[in-house]
Amino acid sequence: MSVPSSTGGRIARIALNAYAGFALLYLFVPIIWIVVFSFNQPKGPYNTVWQRFTLENWADPFGDEALTNAFVESLKIAAISTVIATVLGSMIAIALARYRFRGSAGLNFFLVLPLTTPEIVLGSSLATLFLDWDITRGFGTVVIAHVMFQVSFVALTVRARVRGFDWTLEQAAQDLGASPLRTFWKVTFPLILPGILAAALLSFALSLDDFIITLFNAGSLVTFPLYINGAFARQFPPEVNVLASVILIVSVALMLGGTLWGARGRRKSAT
Amino acid sequence: MITADDASAARGGVKRPELIGLGALVGAGALLVAVGTRLLTGAFAIVAISLVFASILALVVVAVTGTPESRRRIAPYGLLKPGMLWLALFYLAPLFTLLRLSLSTLPSRFAVEAEFGPTLDNYITAFTDFRPQFERGFLYAAIATVLTITIGYPLAYVIAFRGGKYRILLLGLVVIPFFTSFLIRTIAWKSILADQGFVTDAIDTVRLTWLFDGLNIMQDGKLINTPAAVIFGLTYNFLPFMILPIYVSLEKIDERLVDAAKDLYSTSVSAFRKVVLPLSIPGVFAGTLLTFIPAAGDFINAEYLGTPNTTMIGNSIQDQFLVQNNVPLASSMSFVLMFIITVFVIIYSKFFGTEDLA
Amino acid sequence: MTTPAPNPFRLPAGRSAMSRRQLLIRAGALGAAGVSLPALLAACGSDSDSGSSGSTPGTTGSTSGGGGGADGGLFFENWPSYIDPTEDGATGTVDRFMEATGIEMRYTEAYNDNNEYFAKIQPLLGRGEPIDPDIIAPTSWLANRLITLGWLDKLPLDQVPNAANLRADLQNPAWDPTGEYSLPWQTGFAGIAYNSDVTGREITSVDDLFDPEFAGKVGALTEMRDTIGVIAMSLGIDISTLTSFAEAQPAFDKLQEAKDSGQIRRFHGNDYFDDLSNGNLAITIGWSGDVAAIARDNPAVKFVFPESGATSWADTMVVPKGARNVEAAAQWMNFVYDPVQAAQITTWVGYVSPVEGVRAEVEKLDADLANDPLVFPDDATLANTKGFAPLSEAVEAEYDAAFSAITGA
Repeated sequence: MSVPSSTGGRIARIALNAYAGFALLYLFVPIIWIVVFSFNQPKGPYNTVWQRFTLENWADPFGDEALTNAFVESLKIAAISTVIATVLGSMIAIALARYRFRGSAGLNFFLVLPLTTPEIVLGSSLATLFLDWDITRGFGTVVIAHVMFQVSFVALTVRARVRGFDWTLEQAAQDLGASPLRTFWKVTFPLILPGILAAALLSFALSLDDFIITLFNAGSLVTFPLYINGAFARQFPPEVNVLASVILIVSVALMLGGTLWGARGRRKSAT
Repeated sequence: MITADDASAARGGVKRPELIGLGALVGAGALLVAVGTRLLTGAFAIVAISLVFASILALVVVAVTGTPESRRRIAPYGLLKPGMLWLALFYLAPLFTLLRLSLSTLPSRFAVEAEFGPTLDNYITAFTDFRPQFERGFLYAAIATVLTITIGYPLAYVIAFRGGKYRILLLGLVVIPFFTSFLIRTIAWKSILADQGFVTDAIDTVRLTWLFDGLNIMQDGKLINTPAAVIFGLTYNFLPFMILPIYVSLEKIDERLVDAAKDLYSTSVSAFRKVVLPLSIPGVFAGTLLTFIPAAGDFINAEYLGTPNTTMIGNSIQDQFLVQNNVPLASSMSFVLMFIITVFVIIYSKFFGTEDLA
Repeated sequence: MTTPAPNPFRLPAGRSAMSRRQLLIRAGALGAAGVSLPALLAACGSDSDSGSSGSTPGTTGSTSGGGGGADGGLFFENWPSYIDPTEDGATGTVDRFMEATGIEMRYTEAYNDNNEYFAKIQPLLGRGEPIDPDIIAPTSWLANRLITLGWLDKLPLDQVPNAANLRADLQNPAWDPTGEYSLPWQTGFAGIAYNSDVTGREITSVDDLFDPEFAGKVGALTEMRDTIGVIAMSLGIDISTLTSFAEAQPAFDKLQEAKDSGQIRRFHGNDYFDDLSNGNLAITIGWSGDVAAIARDNPAVKFVFPESGATSWADTMVVPKGARNVEAAAQWMNFVYDPVQAAQITTWVGYVSPVEGVRAEVEKLDADLANDPLVFPDDATLANTKGFAPLSEAVEAEYDAAFSAITGA
């Protein structure tokens, strides 16, 4: 960047940086609250007023059985739906990025539609389908719903990542006598894997956090967000903060790991 | 984009497999939608499902017996098929079911099956009884979207142009808060901004309550359960959906171009206005859609941070669907919401349009 | 502890090695056998039954996670904070029941609102299909609706000898004239709850709800009969004899005005503990026992009978049609209608027990409570309460529509 030309420019620069800093701080205010209150020893069933510091909540993060059950249920749903959606979505992404074919523009548009539909419409319309078919809503229907909104997400994310991919590499491998399948597993797949993993990680997070679509399709099933919403009628135990902090720590670790791994991969391919 | 296929495509290639592929995909999708929405029932449904299987079979037959060229032509449709059929059955078909239900009535108050009219009664109710909720929903979402731009754009700008080697780290910081459940984050705000919480206390101590009251941020000394609190919550919850696309569009801008513009236009401000801003419009466009659309349908923020006078259309749909048990009415409201948003997206695309949302 | 369920997603070994041709043959066979979409969809949906054990919210700490519903155990879905849990060395009623009878029991607290719960069970019961719980806890008016719709099974009262302990005034009630479908779980009052730290004074009247001093710090229940009932009584309307909407119109108008002016901060179900305790709500319409529970943590929170009177209500135990464990349900009802057991529940929840003879038992446990007029109301207190009249379906529809228009959603 060029050197600021005047004092006014320098002040404007500092002001802009400060503004951005405050914006970043704003993003973290509730996060700080969540982590701090995981060390609170609340009086009564609601962990919303600071009383005193304790490590007790962290000693037994799975102490609340119903909360833990809901959390496990959410992890199961996220795992299953992410696997399905990642496979389906990646296939779509490869088709869109790798090939040029009739109807691709229309299919591309169709793929974007679910992302531009409000969640409440996605959730309620799918629920009307299940109602119409007289299907009891529960674990299976929630997985179906999550895959539905994850597929588009994965497809578009992976497509963006594989856009710059050099498909002539495939041609080269095949010219050297590799079968198309072998070419895919040995050449293409390792190269697009980071993009797929990143999309899978994000769509896992989307599933874990989804409330609106799940609410309409869960029946008597209770996921982590549904539990928090329902439980708020009678309690807000510090275990919620502890589990939320755990999710936070794990995802930060995964992100850091992913970044480091990506950097290493880049170095390796550069040499 | 140039792919290995272009050469053969230019030569005219093999058209037949391509037509089979596309036809099988679209046809199977349409059949699934028809069965899903019960347009086809009984024996017809069985025939339709068999046809879907047959279309998959056809793809496989071509894949096994076809020439390498026709195989390559058919491949994209094979790859697309499972995902697209999933969307046909669980995204498109439900929308048609929703449409049909919205034109139906409940024969009695506690009836399980709605009877198809077709009737527009539900739409009339939606527009008359729930007009304030529609208006509030779109108004709050619009204000929140503008706020996310004013907060998010400078942050994205600073990260993109001044982040240096810390760019990825800073971007990570933007994303990290959103790995905790948004319900918990909203409850956190409720607690932080509570009447006897430290923020209200602090404002009270420095005697600025009158100022916040005057700005309509506070009402009678309250920070939550006000319209401002709902908008504030929406802004917070959808902020990263604004920051990330803006960042992506800013990051693509060549810094040398900015420097050249500064030389040309002499001030940073006009360089920004003439070069950076126009080039970042696609990001703002994508961010606006990603913020406005979910915000317009949201009900969590209004539920936790609002009052009975700040309910949005999402609250009404949720209430009619899951509490009042009036699914036909809720369906019509969902449909109207989607319709208005679609119109908005079309108009908005005309002004700022880019062909690519992703 | 429960054994892990077999994982439906794990393929048997060797299956994945199936050749493409075999796959085709199978797919063809599926199509030919007429495995249609609904069947496939239904197969997806049915997971919910097998996957739901121990996953409902609010399973009290006192119960084991498993069992319940379809598995042969007993499943009771009740309102939150409505039974004594196992804590502080005391054994909760659910655990005492399981010990005494050997019956596995699942007890959940997913019942937050009558209308919401009705909407949840309606798609199943309305189609003649069973729901998971064996016992649910609708308020009397909803129990009446479920009886009328034919969605309940008769209670096996011959297996509930302790039903003889039912309070005389609750026998053959208006909502269940033959008394064959329901046994009350708890009864109680809706009156005014307030946080004296915020109000700064004692509250005695419903008019205080509308005092501009508390603008934006007032709440009301989403339970129409309690909110409208309390307000109507303050306007001199007899809620026990209502037959038309017009009679209650003034109460609706008054509520509408308060909502429009911003006097009312929120309408709530059970979820007002936090707001009342923290001072976000200064004053609200609340339930007597709930307030007793909040007051244990925050003595500033108080419950009063308004001068103009409080509403009285009853939550019931009913058995939804097609329930799988009716005999175990009978044993449960018999257990909690034993005054010794009922007294344990009463001391914890602070509501009015429907069981005769509880007072003598409570006296042994907590002499103060035995003299609490909220728990053992004397005649003077009872004279100041009224139950909401049973409404015909058409009139009820009018009331519900008017009320939901005000609550704003």
